Amino acid sequence: MTEEHEHFIEDLAAYALGSLSESERSDIEAHVTSCPACARRLNEYQAVAGVLPTCLDPVEPSPDAWASIRTGARRRRPTHGAEKRIVLPNWRWAAWPLMAGLVATLLVWNVSLQREVSLRPPGPEVEALARRPGRLVILAGTGTPSASARLLVAVDGHHGHLAIAGLRPVSSERAYELWFIRAGAAPAPGGTFRVDASGRAWVAITVPVSLDDARAITITEEASTGSAAPTGQYLLEARAWR
Amino acid sequence: MQLLRQMQTGDEAALEVLYRRYAGLVFTLALRIVGDPELAREVLQDAFLRCWDGRETYDPRRGRVPWWLMGIARNRAIDLLRSRSHQARLREQEPLSGATRTPNQLDTADAVALRHGVARALEGLSAVQRQAIELAYYGGLTQVEIAEQLDEPLGTVKSRTREAMERLRVSLWPLIEPRREE
Repeated sequence: MTEEHEHFIEDLAAYALGSLSESERSDIEAHVTSCPACARRLNEYQAVAGVLPTCLDPVEPSPDAWASIRTGARRRRPTHGAEKRIVLPNWRWAAWPLMAGLVATLLVWNVSLQREVSLRPPGPEVEALARRPGRLVILAGTGTPSASARLLVAVDGHHGHLAIAGLRPVSSERAYELWFIRAGAAPAPGGTFRVDASGRAWVAITVPVSLDDARAITITEEASTGSAAPTGQYLLEARAWR
Repeated sequence: MQLLRQMQTGDEAALEVLYRRYAGLVFTLALRIVGDPELAREVLQDAFLRCWDGRETYDPRRGRVPWWLMGIARNRAIDLLRSRSHQARLREQEPLSGATRTPNQLDTADAVALRHGVARALEGLSAVQRQAIELAYYGGLTQVEIAEQLDEPLGTVKSRTREAMERLRVSLWPLIEPRREE
């Protein structure tokens, strides 16, 4: 790798943050048109920059803000193509082979991270690695269509977090419970939780079985003390994951 | 993306759906940067109208639609901050009004996961790495300006920024890699 190329790589992150001068931005924009690796990395950094504000405490605009935008929109007509932002390499997106490659990359990345965890001595560094999200499971609202959940399993495979939205708050005698369903074995509980008044929750969980051994992951409503097996309807369910 | 295609045909209902979904995020970011609800509202309006009239075009390779919107809003907010820096600083001293600090009732599990994931990822950075991100993204400073403000070598600032973003990228990629259904 040349020193000049290293210089471009150094500036990709700053470009994504909008933190370069105009001449530096032009240099990067010219470089990525001929360097697919840098173009991909820049896209990834831009995705990271795009989500930074999501951790801010949300503030809604005043209710009349939409009226101003609607008025402005009616005065304008879309003129798409008249003005474009940066030029990125002209390679096609979203072909099935590329999607398969992304999935394969994620699997390889996950395996390499798990290997990295197993090779290091225990300590804060391993804990940090272990808490890095390794797999993502999307649970769909089967029994409760408006609900959704994301199970983030850490690299170590034994810990993670569960993000939930759209479940109704329950009384103090009730709770929701996470289940790992296995073929030929009793369902393994992943813990109970409640949602807030807005129907959301962010819960640290323990993953009792390997995801590779689970056939389905579900959420049911149970007594607040938990249950030995699911007794309620499957409210959210996942049957495939990365 | 379907919404954006509909907007290209002049479908105002699609614009309203986009607004209802993401106005809170956009306004929150704008307010964080400019510090004034009226200026934030100006950024909000400008961002959505630029999407509407085609002055901003969406590229799925750069991430999902809300994050593309964040980029537009952030750029507009920084432009506003730089052009009205004096007035914005004066307004920062006044109590915030005209905005409602309430949770987004339309939150999905994705949004819940992302909010907590990003917060944890930022906590995993060192203090100087977080500062580099903060000054660049929310402060709108160039790397040269950050180096001058911190009285540090430019190379140090650039390395720090790159290391911070690389750590965030590795931590957050399972949550943010582009999905086709957007």
